[in-house]
Amino acid sequence: MLRVTALRMAKSTTLTLPALAGCRIALALATDLYDTLKHNHQLASPLTSYLNLQEGVFLFKNGVNPYSGGVFRHSPILLSLFTTVIPTSRRLASILWTLSDIAGAWALVQLWRARQRAPQTSRDGLVAAAYLLNPYLFLPTLALSSSTFENTLTLLSLMFAAQGNASLALVSAAILLHLSLPSILLSAPLILLLSSSNGPLSQLASPRAFTPNDKKWIALLGEYVAYAVFLSVISTLVSGGLSWIPQTWGANITLPDLTPNVGVWWYFFTEMFDHFRPFFLMVFSVHLIIYVAPLCIKFQYDPLYAAFVLLGVLGTFKAYPTMADIGLFASMFAVFPELFPYLRHPIVTILLHLHAALLMPLFHHLWLSQGTANANFFYATTLVFACANGAALTDCIWAGLRIAIGAPEEGFSVVQE
Amino acid sequence: MNPKCRRLWFSLFLPLAVLSLHNEVFDEQLNIRSLPDGKVASRFSFTTVLVGASPPTPQNHSSQDDPRHYSLFPLALGQILHEYAVTEMHLTLNAGKWNYDHWGYPDEDGVGTGAELWAWMGDGAVSTVDERWRGLRNALAGLFCASLGSLDELRTTSPTMMFAPGALSNRTSTHSLRHASLPSEHVCTENLTPFLKLLPCKSLSGIATLLNPHRLFDADWHGMGLHVSWLPQQGVQVKLTFQTISDPLRPQSSSRDWSFASVFERTIQRSCPVATSSQIVVALPFGVPYTINPQPSLVDQGHAIFDVVQSGPLDVSLHWPSGFQYSTTRLAETTFSVRRTLKGYTQDNGQLSVLLRNDEDSPVNIAYLETMPWIIQLYLHTLTLEVDGVSRNDLLQNITYIPPVPHSRATLFQIVLQIPSRSTLKLTMDITKAFLRYTEHPPDAQRGWDLPPAVFVRLDGRPQRRIYAPALLVDLATPDFSMPYNVIIFTCSLIAFIFGSVFNYLTRRFIVLPVPS
Repeated sequence: MLRVTALRMAKSTTLTLPALAGCRIALALATDLYDTLKHNHQLASPLTSYLNLQEGVFLFKNGVNPYSGGVFRHSPILLSLFTTVIPTSRRLASILWTLSDIAGAWALVQLWRARQRAPQTSRDGLVAAAYLLNPYLFLPTLALSSSTFENTLTLLSLMFAAQGNASLALVSAAILLHLSLPSILLSAPLILLLSSSNGPLSQLASPRAFTPNDKKWIALLGEYVAYAVFLSVISTLVSGGLSWIPQTWGANITLPDLTPNVGVWWYFFTEMFDHFRPFFLMVFSVHLIIYVAPLCIKFQYDPLYAAFVLLGVLGTFKAYPTMADIGLFASMFAVFPELFPYLRHPIVTILLHLHAALLMPLFHHLWLSQGTANANFFYATTLVFACANGAALTDCIWAGLRIAIGAPEEGFSVVQE
Repeated sequence: MNPKCRRLWFSLFLPLAVLSLHNEVFDEQLNIRSLPDGKVASRFSFTTVLVGASPPTPQNHSSQDDPRHYSLFPLALGQILHEYAVTEMHLTLNAGKWNYDHWGYPDEDGVGTGAELWAWMGDGAVSTVDERWRGLRNALAGLFCASLGSLDELRTTSPTMMFAPGALSNRTSTHSLRHASLPSEHVCTENLTPFLKLLPCKSLSGIATLLNPHRLFDADWHGMGLHVSWLPQQGVQVKLTFQTISDPLRPQSSSRDWSFASVFERTIQRSCPVATSSQIVVALPFGVPYTINPQPSLVDQGHAIFDVVQSGPLDVSLHWPSGFQYSTTRLAETTFSVRRTLKGYTQDNGQLSVLLRNDEDSPVNIAYLETMPWIIQLYLHTLTLEVDGVSRNDLLQNITYIPPVPHSRATLFQIVLQIPSRSTLKLTMDITKAFLRYTEHPPDAQRGWDLPPAVFVRLDGRPQRRIYAPALLVDLATPDFSMPYNVIIFTCSLIAFIFGSVFNYLTRRFIVLPVPS
């Protein structure tokens, strides 16, 4: 009897992913929201917008170096793909982006299974749904923002690392690095994950010191650098020079385009005094890097968790974030259900998110289209959004550490020294 | 000094002056024509030729640092030309929108709204072309009291096809072009005063007497120009021009009669003594009765010519006995017309739309140039060409595109198009508007930015005329200018708060405490 139920459950979960995938493809085919969403600054940043990608492809095909000017900031890898292999037809692109999301959901399910060390679980469908039905993720996909590919590659590299497939994990991470420079921070927990003896298994409840295998992580780092350099050489050959570096990677550091987004950089550097700009650009970039070592040291026994928390840091603080970045962080919560009892203020976090998610498009419209609001309105909602992300981030860290103490007992409370 | 005495001094020194000035020639001319819509177009032109002089180049620049001795040639300008080794230069300062449909082609091509400066300079000097270009525009800004210093790298382009050098055509390989325009420049009397100072007779005598600022800046359209070019057979020529479109119908709506006294509120009292020639050319009406006063010294091909040197005090007037009937018919000579608009109501994107109409029975080839500051990003892949609602991308023949660089370089977009006979071609292209740093906005930020006029040239027509589309105004999103400190404080506090919380959790140990009951 029990086996039958388990079998039925397994069947239902194996069907969930294809069913959800089918829904998503139907959504992509039935609705053509691209024209409504293409200028939406919350869904696509200047670095990921499909409009800019099309422009770059057009310039490249017409013999103008797309990296000689200001608008095209996509990686030469995407440029070469879209000029040769993939035609830039809207319908096809829409399907391609959805397929990328489906691959991401599949990778997330695999990651969950690897963490549970089970070939199939009853929560598979839920994990897939958490990714495919997350509006923070499917709206950027409908807007054809290339952050969809970044998310898929992030999940693929984590999945391959969790499965112990070092080469594929590092290749995905190197491609991801070319698509988005801040993802270089993820390489640390990724290499830790590959060289750790526990793999992706949940160790949060039973922390123990990490015994480093010197030789292995150096070799892994070398491999990662080798792939990245190889892709850089390819990129240089494709674009006919090194001008792609300041245009793609450099933009993450120098912030040439101050188009509003959901992050905290754009208005800060719009209002920044000219003589302080380089200093604060340095501060904001270093601020991102500063999280890597402490998180990797503290969560050395569970590097997948360190990667998850770092994704939250990137989604909150990177130079050109989109909704998709924080959507990935939100969807990955599904992989760590053991945390849920230990979260301190999930309702507050969710309400803050709801507040920001509703007001952001509204104030954006009031400021730029309606003209009845000003920039401060939208800025205020991005601050709320950052607060919501910060609340989620700190709650994750609290819960990830608190879980080691065990279930709360009557008459005792857990505090920090 | 009383007038008699002055006349005596003149008669004593004039022959001497003329003797020493045998290599400088000054000519002045005023062209006046009545337009079909009742307005009067006048063009003043003052030409000084330095006979036999070669254009300043970087090569002869260093060897010729001797003081310049000019009598008629404006010294202030000559020094600038030599300092920056400028071979050819054109500066125009215009106000208003030239109406090609009703006024026809202007006597001087450069009628783009605001300030426009372009110069051809030789390569190979110690200082680069860009350094000299910066010096030139700052020097001219000082000379003309205009904000030409704002014609900086953000607005400078090099559209060599549209702005070909006059006599340098075989030398373009050794010379470079720099072009910039500033449509928001307002032209007024402070620019006219330095303009008059460059004339040998100032506005004291000759045709320049008529340059009365009260009337000129009251005109429907007015523009001044400074053109320095090198004519191989003659020498270096400086041409100062002033064009106006005045409206005699404004005071009395039924009569289009005009005279110097009514249009300029001045008459010519005496001629400029150093002018070799001084002519007033009036285009005579065709096929309608009219009277012109006084009698012209010469009538040639429908033009009445008055010689100011010969005549005494002069007040030319033209009178139509038959009143004025307004007609909306367009001039036959302008068979090509342009309408350029920026569509879209949001502050972050929009669409550039250009309507090109060809009234001829044969297709016309047009070169179209946009020199946008970087704040407007063109999306070339959205470029569409339509004739009567039918997509005709085959009419696009050639694209030259230099993409903008944020915060530094302007866009140069130039295409060659064919407009089919008797049809209107509609060109559209998506654009996005940039978000600027708060220090990059002009003082009156909510007014918007003036975009430079587009330039069109008919490639088959002779002579090649530049046609300017009116300037556009673009509305950019503005930050709150009053709160840089607040934003810095809010954002930094938030980051510090999250950073602090994270490190608080990461660095402090967890302990279990019994709760006292």
